[in-house]
Amino acid sequence: MNADLFVRLERQLGRLLYAGVMSAAACLAIGLALWMAGTSPAASNTILTTGLIILMLTPLARVVTSLVVYARMRDWFFVATTVMVFGVLLLAWVLKSRAQ
Amino acid sequence: MIHPTVIAAVIAAGAVAGGLGSLLGIGGGVFLVPFLDAGLGLDFRVAAATGLMTVIATSSAVSAGTAGKNLINLRLGMLLEVASAVGGLAAGITVERLSKHTLSLLFAIVTAAIASLMVARLDKRNILEPTSDPGPLGGRFRDDDTGREIVYRVKRLPVAMFASLLAGAVSGTLGIGGGILKVPILNAWCGVPMRAAAATSALMIGVTAAASAPQYFARGDINPPVAAAAVLGVLLGSRAGLLAGGRAPVKWLKLLMALVLAGVSILYFRRALG
Repeated sequence: MNADLFVRLERQLGRLLYAGVMSAAACLAIGLALWMAGTSPAASNTILTTGLIILMLTPLARVVTSLVVYARMRDWFFVATTVMVFGVLLLAWVLKSRAQ
Repeated sequence: MIHPTVIAAVIAAGAVAGGLGSLLGIGGGVFLVPFLDAGLGLDFRVAAATGLMTVIATSSAVSAGTAGKNLINLRLGMLLEVASAVGGLAAGITVERLSKHTLSLLFAIVTAAIASLMVARLDKRNILEPTSDPGPLGGRFRDDDTGREIVYRVKRLPVAMFASLLAGAVSGTLGIGGGILKVPILNAWCGVPMRAAAATSALMIGVTAAASAPQYFARGDINPPVAAAAVLGVLLGSRAGLLAGGRAPVKWLKLLMALVLAGVSILYFRRALG
């Protein structure tokens, strides 16, 4: 594979992670400040929860994005391992929600 | 109700955990969870959920910082992540039946063993001639510390897979990402240079933690202000760790890893017995 292309992809994925972390951090900082002020507990809780959900989705967004790129490059080793990871995670979720 | 001084303490503890975590690619949960649980008296599940959130934060922040340096070995990372995901699944069925004490004890024994392995192999370098072939899973990158081009091959893949399986199994239950098991094993046994092991682990622990965090979320074990404080602290700390990590000599990083492992081992022994 073209090494320059690969480095460019890595940088783009890096920016995606950075954007995810920064927007999550902004939500968490604002939410925490509101919570400390104690004026609107409901609003601060919503903002904090939004920040935490953005945070949880960030690494998954990175892997899904790279999966799309590798599928276009026809890098089947990578596609197979990524699909397997998500398959097992999904299975864990199904088993968990059934057990509850 | 949580007092603002507790929030301040959580931010400070997060900063320390984030600094060490980003230097070594292990996420902050492994230090932060015992502190929140034993130090601040928070419920274990809340502490574990907070730990997972900070692992995701360090993972994303550090991976954003190392992107484009060729340090992240995505092929090896995703292959190991398959093992971690299976480990997490197996843990959901079996390990969760073990008590927190048994699990802490097992974890303490494993980290103690890895610490001695790390010290025994301190002077071994995983570097090949610049012209050699890294193989299907190896890689090459430029070392910021020495300015040299570094080529490595992955050895003993089954050992790396087993370490990742174990990491996935303990991650959800103890609230850690599992980098504390993966990084030293990859470095000491599997031929991966310290910086590449740390960067690859940093990326993957985010996926591992993101897989178990929603379950805590769904059960209502997340305390939003505490999690926010911990994440913000960890992000501040990991920024500092990232600046130091690229330039720090590798031997120093390895020694720090061994020390951290020994400390974590003692911490979890005390948790198991206390």
